[in-house]
Amino acid sequence: MKAYLLLVLANIREFSRDLMTLFWFLAFPLIFILLFGAIFSGNGDLEFQVGLAVEDQGPAAAGIAEAMKAVPIFQITQGDREAMLAALKEGKLRAVIVLPEDLSAAMMVGQRVDLPVYYDAAQQTSREIVLSVMKDMTAELDRRLTGRPQLIGIQAEPIQAGRKMRDIDYLLPGILSMSLMQLGLFGTFNFVSMRQRKVFKRFGATPLPKWTLLAAEITVRLMIAVIQTLVIVFVGRLVFDVQMVGNWAVLIALVMLGATVFVSMGYMIAGFAKTEDGVQGIIQTVQFPMMFLSGIFFPVEFMPAFLRPVMTAMPLSYLGDLLRQEMVGASAMHSLAVNLGVLGGFTLVSLALAVRFFRWE
Amino acid sequence: MYAIEATGLYKRYGEVIAVNGIDLAVKQGEIFGMLGPNGAGKTTTTEMLVGLRQPDAGVVKILSMDPKKEGAAIKARIGVQLQTSALFNHLTVRETLVLMASFFPRCRPVDELLNLVDLQEKANVQTRHLSGGQQQRLQVALAMVNDGDLLFLDEPTTGLDPQARRRLWDIIEKMREEGKTVFLTTHYMEEAEKLCDRVAVIDHGQIIALGSPDELIAAHFGETAIELPAFSGLDDHMLAQLAGVSHIQRQNSQVTLYSTAVPATVGALLELAQKLGVSLENLMIRRATLEDVFLKLTGRRIRE
Repeated sequence: MKAYLLLVLANIREFSRDLMTLFWFLAFPLIFILLFGAIFSGNGDLEFQVGLAVEDQGPAAAGIAEAMKAVPIFQITQGDREAMLAALKEGKLRAVIVLPEDLSAAMMVGQRVDLPVYYDAAQQTSREIVLSVMKDMTAELDRRLTGRPQLIGIQAEPIQAGRKMRDIDYLLPGILSMSLMQLGLFGTFNFVSMRQRKVFKRFGATPLPKWTLLAAEITVRLMIAVIQTLVIVFVGRLVFDVQMVGNWAVLIALVMLGATVFVSMGYMIAGFAKTEDGVQGIIQTVQFPMMFLSGIFFPVEFMPAFLRPVMTAMPLSYLGDLLRQEMVGASAMHSLAVNLGVLGGFTLVSLALAVRFFRWE
Repeated sequence: MYAIEATGLYKRYGEVIAVNGIDLAVKQGEIFGMLGPNGAGKTTTTEMLVGLRQPDAGVVKILSMDPKKEGAAIKARIGVQLQTSALFNHLTVRETLVLMASFFPRCRPVDELLNLVDLQEKANVQTRHLSGGQQQRLQVALAMVNDGDLLFLDEPTTGLDPQARRRLWDIIEKMREEGKTVFLTTHYMEEAEKLCDRVAVIDHGQIIALGSPDELIAAHFGETAIELPAFSGLDDHMLAQLAGVSHIQRQNSQVTLYSTAVPATVGALLELAQKLGVSLENLMIRRATLEDVFLKLTGRRIRE
C-alpha cells in the first residue's frame, strides 16, 4: 500500500514537474476550446452588411430607413448610391437598397414605388435572406399605410429536441472527449518511454508486484482526467457560458469510464509496439481519424453517408454522445445501454490484450 | 556457505549464444568480480542471477534459495544496480530513495544511505541534474536501500572519470567492511585487481580463468612484462631469440616481452639495440597484470 501511494506520488511529481507534459495535457485542450469557441461562438447568428442609399428627403424614406436599421440581422451602412454599389462590387456589402428620390411624393399620391435592391448574384444565401426580409418589411409597411387589417399571421414557437444547442455547446463535450482520448493514448507514450529507458526494469528486481505499478499508473491517469474535466467545464462556463446541466457525480463517472477506455487502449498499443517511435506511429493512426470522424466536433448529419459506418466503429463516438447528454443536455444518439455496452466492451478487450502483451522492458 | 551458486548457465538470443555454460560459486562476504570485454556475457549473467531473465538451461541458487520458488524472498534480500537502468527524471535524490525503499519490507534509513554514497548535499536535487558519477552513486545507494546481504553491481564505474571511479571503489570497500557479498562486473582490470577477492575472467560467454588476481597472474605468468614500442625496428624473430624471453605479444603500437630472467633479457635487448642503432625510448618493465592474463588467454586486450 505504501509503495502504491508513493508510486502515485512519484507519477504526479514526474508529471507536474515536467512543463512540456503539463502543457500538452492542460493547455492544449484549452487552446482548442478558445480557438474553436472563437470560431463558432457567434451563436449561429447571421449578420449582413447592407448598404443604404437614401435619395429622398421626405418623411417616408426616413421611416423606412429607421425600420431597416431596426432589423437585427442588418448592419446598415449609409451613403450615396455610387459609393454603395462600388462597395458591393468589392464584396464589402452583401446588398444595397436604394430609397429613390421620388419615394415620399409618389407614396402621398398612392402611386406604387419599387425599391431597387442590388445584390451579389453569386451569394445565394444573401439573396434569399435579404430579399425575403425586404419583402416582409415592405408588405408590413404597405399594410399599415393602407390600413388593411392583417388576417393571418404566424406565431413563432421554437421547439427543439433537448436544450437549445449552440455550436459551442456541441463542441465542448467533444473537446473533453478528445482530451480523454489523448490522455489515455499519449499517456502511454510516457510509459513506453520510461520502459525503454529501463526505469521499470530495475523495479523487476525488487519485490514490488507488477499490478501495483500498473494500478498507480492508471490512478494518476484518472486523476488527471478529472482535473482536465474541471478545467474544461469551468472555462466553457466562464468564457462561453456553457452551462453544465447534468449531475457532477455522473459526469465524473463518465469521465473515469472514458479515461479507462483509452488508457486500456493505450496499454494495449504499448504492448504491441516495441519502441517509442512505433507506439507514436500506431497512436497517431488511431487517434487522428478518431478525432475527426467520430462526430465529436460535428453532428452526424454533417458526415457524408459513406463515413457513417466508420463513425459507429469508433469508441470516441459513444463517449462523445454520453458526455454531450450529461454536460449540455443534448439528445441521445444511441441508447444508454448501447453506449455503455460498446465502451465497456472496448475496455475489456483492450485490457485483456494489454495484459497479454505487457512487457516490463 | 555460498551466496551464489550457479551451474551450467546457458542463454542464447537467436543465433547468438550470450552465455555458454557458466558455473559460479560465490562465497558469503566475498567481493567477486566478473571481468571481460563488452559483449562477453557479463550483463546477461547478472540479469539471470537476479531473476530478470530466465536462463535457457542451468540451475541457480541465491542465498541458498531457489529463484523459481522463492523469488520474492530472494528479491527482498538482494540489492541490484543495473548497467542501463534509468531513474525518474523529475524526482529528487531523496524522493527516489524513499520510493525505492517502499518496495521492500525492511530498509535502511535514507540519511544513512546518503552519507554512505556522499550525496547529502544533493538530497533535494532532481536526478536529471546530477552528474554521471553522482547518478551512479545514487544507483549504488538504491541497490543498498534494503540493506540486502548480497549486492549485484553491473559495471558500476563504466563511463566515469578516474576520480568518480575511486569514490565508488571506496563505497564498495565499505560494503566489504559491512560484511556484504558483492558480485560485480567490470571491464577495467585495475578495478578487478584492486577490489575483488576473486575474479572470473569471461570471454564469449565462458569463464576462461578463475581465482584471486594474484593467483591468476602467478598461474599464467612466472614472467615479468617488458614493453617497448612496436616501431622500434626489432622484429619478432629477433626478440624471441633474446635470453629469458618465454613468449612475445604484439598489440597495435606495442610489443610485450614476457621474461623469466629480466636482467638477462634486458641486457641482451640493450646489446641488440646498440648493435642495430635502435633507440629504446619508452622501454618499460612491469609486473604482469590481469590484462596480460586476458591477452595471453584470448590474444586480445579487454578494451579495444
